This record gives sequence, structure tokens and C-alpha cells, in this order.
Amino acid sequence: MPKTKRRTAARKKAASFTGGCLCGAVRFRARGAPMYVSHCHCTMCRVASGAPVVTFAGFPSARVRFTKGKPKFYRSSKIARRALCGNCGSQLYFQFDRHPERMGMNVGCFDHPETLKPQRHIFTNTMIPWLKMKDGLPRELRGE
Amino acid sequence: MAMAKRTRKAKTTTKASRTRHPKTAGVHSGGCLCGAIRFTARGKPNHIGNCHCTQCRKATGAAFATFAGFESKDVTFGKGKPRYFRSSAWAARGFCPQCGTSLVYKLIEDSSKIWLAVGAMDKPERLAPKMHIFTTTMVKWLKFRDGLPRYKAFPAS
Repeated sequence: MPKTKRRTAARKKAASFTGGCLCGAVRFRARGAPMYVSHCHCTMCRVASGAPVVTFAGFPSARVRFTKGKPKFYRSSKIARRALCGNCGSQLYFQFDRHPERMGMNVGCFDHPETLKPQRHIFTNTMIPWLKMKDGLPRELRGE
Repeated sequence: MAMAKRTRKAKTTTKASRTRHPKTAGVHSGGCLCGAIRFTARGKPNHIGNCHCTQCRKATGAAFATFAGFESKDVTFGKGKPRYFRSSAWAARGFCPQCGTSLVYKLIEDSSKIWLAVGAMDKPERLAPKMHIFTTTMVKWLKFRDGLPRYKAFPAS
């Protein structure tokens, strides 16, 4: 393995992403590289956050640990629920009922969101027209 | 969104929005995801900005937030009331205690103004932002090519 590749692999292995809500009542740590990082333009994510687009980083649930406090849950649809802070309302993660083994963490809650670089846009059929994000990332009309 | 003196600014923005963005006039309705809170804002917003401050980021869980500023007297909560969290010495943020939607940003010392989260609006496409603010903390991978002015703080004039 070339030296640079080996170094990247080592860094990925050691990667640890910390974050929490605005008031600090809930804190978490996600270890390892994220499975995916996506900008979601669906109307539910938009209204849930109050922001025009929400970025999620997918992690295996086993690698996410809540180090302080516990989130509150809101059942946002028949197939999924959203975790938030009961004290300040920060959106923390999204989880499908049929995939309890993984969770989509809200990138805005991480202490260093710049370390979680998005790879694609999803649900671009409901993307707000004035959102001019020229990042060259692939766009999918729907999510998975 | 930290505040600077913005008395003159408010006037000029209103004028600009009237000429360049006629679509922003009228009634803007919105609410949280679960539907417990509904609001209506009348008239033209005096400010619409993409905020890249770390607090807006954490409050929404998104990479940045977009807020539209209105006169408080023009905003009514038709159903439910947000719960407020004192996010700083000078401001409070309103959210739905049930589903967590970020709804409001308001100043402690100036209750005449209120900022509403554009993502919580029924028609966010009608409230196009006019600027980016707090760009020093903008997430590096956010690549906008919208030609909007960028400010390191809330513009004073």
C-alpha cells in the first residue's frame, strides 16, 4: 500500500466526530468514516429543521454513542422517526424503522461539520429554486 | 445572528425588496413539521439572509439556516406557541417542543422585530435570501454561486 494511502486509511480508522445540540444537553460521538453524507431537499427535512436543505451523515448505529443526555423522539412518518433535543429543539438524527442499524446524523450538529463532506443531493425534485449550490455533486430526484 | 445598529438598513432593504422581489409581498404562512404550531406573516420581510453562524447551524441541525425578518406586529401565531430557548445573552430561539422545528429568532431587547425560519414556510421559494451572513464560520464545502453579497456579521448598513 502506498504511503499516502496507508496514512489516509489510518486516519479514517481513528476518525471520531463529536457533536451535540445547541444548549449542550445532548452530546454524542460517532466513530469511523461515515457511510454517506448527503444533502436532503425533501420537504419533511426542510420543515423539521426550518432550514432550506438538511445535510445528513450516515453512521452505523453501533458506532454512535450518546455521551451526555438522551434525545427525544418524534415520529415524523409511518416509516421513520427523528431525534431532537427536548430542551432546545436541535434536530439530531433521522432513522428508518426498517434500518435500526444505521442513523442519519444531522451534520449541522457536529462540532466540525467541515470534516463531513457531502457526496450528493437527494430529493432534488423539491429543491428550493433559489438555492444555487454549484458544487458539481450528483443529484438524485429521490432518495434511496 | 448577532446584532449591530441597523435602523437605516431596515428602510433600504424594504425598498430593495419591493423593487426587485415583488413576489415576497403578501401573506406568508408556515408552521412546524407536526402541525402543532402555525404562523402567518403579513407584508414584506425587511431582511432575508442565509446565516452561517454556528448557533443557527446547531439549532437547525443543517449546514446553514435562512431567516426572514418581519415586524412583530405583522406576525401572528394562529395555532400553538413556540417554546423559547435563550440561545445567547441577546437572543432567544423559538421551536416546537413536540417535533423540534426551528421557527423563530428574536432579540431580547428589541421585541419589535422577529425572524422566521424560511424552511418552515409553506412556500419557501417566495422568500429568496438577499445575502449570506456570518460567512467566517461558513462550512467550507458549501459552494454557492448565487451572486449574493457576503458579510462577516450582520451588516450595519
